[in-house]
Amino acid sequence: MGFYCISSKNFPAFIDELIHQQSVIAPQLVQSKPYNPSSSEFFSFSLLKKASNLRLDYDTTILPPKKVFFPPQQVLLSFKNGEFQAVLDLYETILFGVHPYDLLAIEQTDFLFSDKYEDIHYTAQRQLTTIIGSNIQRSAEHSFFSSMNANVKPSTHDGFITKIADTYIYEVLTGKAGNLLKYGQFTDASQQQIDLAVKENERVKSKSHLNYSADEIKQGLEKSYADLELWEQLAKSCYACGSCNTSCPTCYCFNIEDKWHIDQISGERTRYWDSCMTEDFAKISLGPGKSGEAQTENFRPTTGARMRHRLMRKMVYLNDKLGTQACVGCGRCATSCTADIADPVNIINTVMEKYHD
Amino acid sequence: MTKPSIFLPKQAQIINVRQNSESEKHFTLRFADGKKIHFEPGQILEVSLFGFGEIPIGIASSPTRQHSFDIVVRGIGRVSKAINKLNKGDSLYIRGPYGNGFKLDKIRNHPVLIVAGGLGVCPTRSLIQYILDRRSEFKHFTLFYGACHPSQQLFRDDLSDWRKNNDIELLEIVDRPDCDWQGYVGVITDLFDKTQVDKDTRVIVCGPPIMFKFVIQKLDQLGIAHENIFVDLERRMKCAIGKCGHCQINHKYVCTDGPVFSVKDLEDLPEAF
Ligand SMILES: Cc1cc2nc3c(=O)[nH]c(=O)nc-3n(C[C@H](O)[C@H](O)[C@H](O)COP(=O)(O)OP(=O)(O)OC[C@H]3O[C@@H](n4cnc5c(N)ncnc54)[C@H](O)[C@@H]3O)c2cc1C
Ligand code: SF4
Ligand code: SF4
Ligand code: FES
Repeated sequence: MGFYCISSKNFPAFIDELIHQQSVIAPQLVQSKPYNPSSSEFFSFSLLKKASNLRLDYDTTILPPKKVFFPPQQVLLSFKNGEFQAVLDLYETILFGVHPYDLLAIEQTDFLFSDKYEDIHYTAQRQLTTIIGSNIQRSAEHSFFSSMNANVKPSTHDGFITKIADTYIYEVLTGKAGNLLKYGQFTDASQQQIDLAVKENERVKSKSHLNYSADEIKQGLEKSYADLELWEQLAKSCYACGSCNTSCPTCYCFNIEDKWHIDQISGERTRYWDSCMTEDFAKISLGPGKSGEAQTENFRPTTGARMRHRLMRKMVYLNDKLGTQACVGCGRCATSCTADIADPVNIINTVMEKYHD
Repeated sequence: MTKPSIFLPKQAQIINVRQNSESEKHFTLRFADGKKIHFEPGQILEVSLFGFGEIPIGIASSPTRQHSFDIVVRGIGRVSKAINKLNKGDSLYIRGPYGNGFKLDKIRNHPVLIVAGGLGVCPTRSLIQYILDRRSEFKHFTLFYGACHPSQQLFRDDLSDWRKNNDIELLEIVDRPDCDWQGYVGVITDLFDKTQVDKDTRVIVCGPPIMFKFVIQKLDQLGIAHENIFVDLERRMKCAIGKCGHCQINHKYVCTDGPVFSVKDLEDLPEAF
């Protein structure tokens, strides 16, 4: 559908006009970040109020953009006096400035939420969202996206913006993205500009790297499975806080709970993000035992068993279904882990040292 | 709006309630819109009560009995205890059926043994009724039923029918007898010494997680192939549609790939037992 260009000078007016037309969710600077004093700048995808707040030079965001279609809390149904209905809190929006690794992650959740049983609480909001990707101007501290999913190119987004010198090259992939052209002073991009944009995207590399192929990692992890002791070592200082899951763009596990409103006759059935690293994730109640005490069974009772599960899910279990690994190498899990043990690069290197032949 | 939400349940009326034992209630249900439910023995439902929550429950009646369907709920936590306070005329909210059933095509024309411990008799009652209703499709049919105590036996009316019925060989065992008890005393695996189990038998095992290992050991001694042993697994479940991740056993999902698995299928799933 074509490549267009807009000058840096005209770019803010384009963004302000987008904001005027629709809600725009885009990367912005978040001020205080007490939990990680070593890094001064943290970014977040949030509602953009003015063009000057847009930070396309962000390294990565604290939470991934999945929250637009799969929010941390989402009401599924509401009920009152025996009556009930589905709740869809939908809004048209432009999700602007998504990095390629997150585009790949969105492609995965798009598939997973539609596979077999379509979940309209995700897909309906997804359809109302126009996604415009952007090139990575600087890579995040723990990122290793250059080592992941080398053979897959993101394809579910609508458009892509690349900054070259003092110009933005806008690639239009769908009608939705084409519709935005009228809000800015775009001209056709030249072949030379297009080539520069391609080069700019190829140039950017992640800070961290894995030295093994997807197949090697899969085989190594599978071999390490029986070595629970190794996994317990790796997860020894885990707090079971689940931050490595909540910050992950490809984690999509959830819990569902009912809550009453204060009137005690109405309420809501809500889903919440859940984390396989938390202690009760795979725990069931078995009822009272022989002496009457409540019995439970936990199918992944230790931090090691749960860390192994998280890594298997990212690098092994879903590979056939997705045709690629379920980790995009954003490095957010590593950044969010207070115990500093969640980095897949470190985990995989340790495992491979022992199990790569 | 495009499609309806997959989380939207259907209202079902409770048309009968029986107190099965101290903590279990047996509900007979019918959809409020009069529609029938189509399912296979072994499939599960998501059963909910608004304001309390939703839980997975096996269907305890056979699809050959179409006028209504049954569930048995043990009151052990927030949702199940709230459900067990309901009475005839009240409503429950149902999604499903989900998952696979007891692989009828693999057990037809073979001898069948069901090993049911505790609450495990609930989902298997669906298959028991099915076999009794279509008796000629199956060969010799044996049921092992284990409970802690005679007072915890479920389906008392059914049991007294089954004891008299020549279409089913019923062996009952309890941990702790009372003075009226006439069955066996011990653990469920003791029943293997009380009868003959043909090598060609298709075996269905359903009960608390610790039971599986011991039963499978016995079946191994009898030389029954792992592809002919089927287990009904229990895991935490929140969606029953393969998304929420709670029921995962390695790369499989109990809600969509199970809850019934052959022991052969579980051989490359170390998390299963
Ligand atoms: C395939 C399958 C079939 C089942 N069939 C029956 C049946 O026929 N009759 C019956 O009484 N029970 C059955 N159960 C168990 C039943 O689902 C649990 O007893 C119930 O979920 C407990 O919920 P609660 O809110 O009352 O307990 P709480 O202890 O308050 O549990 C909180 C939440 O944890 C989860 N959970 C806890 N225990 C279990 C468990 N054992 N299995 C699954 N999720 C659990 C549920 O999401 C539950 O809402 C079945 C479970 C599975 C997986
Ligand atoms: S690995 Fe780190 S982030 Fe993940 S649960 Fe453990 S302590 Fe939390
Ligand atoms: S596992 Fe970590 S690095 Fe991989 S996609 Fe998730 S948050 Fe990013
Ligand atoms: S119950 Fe949610 S994935 Fe199986």
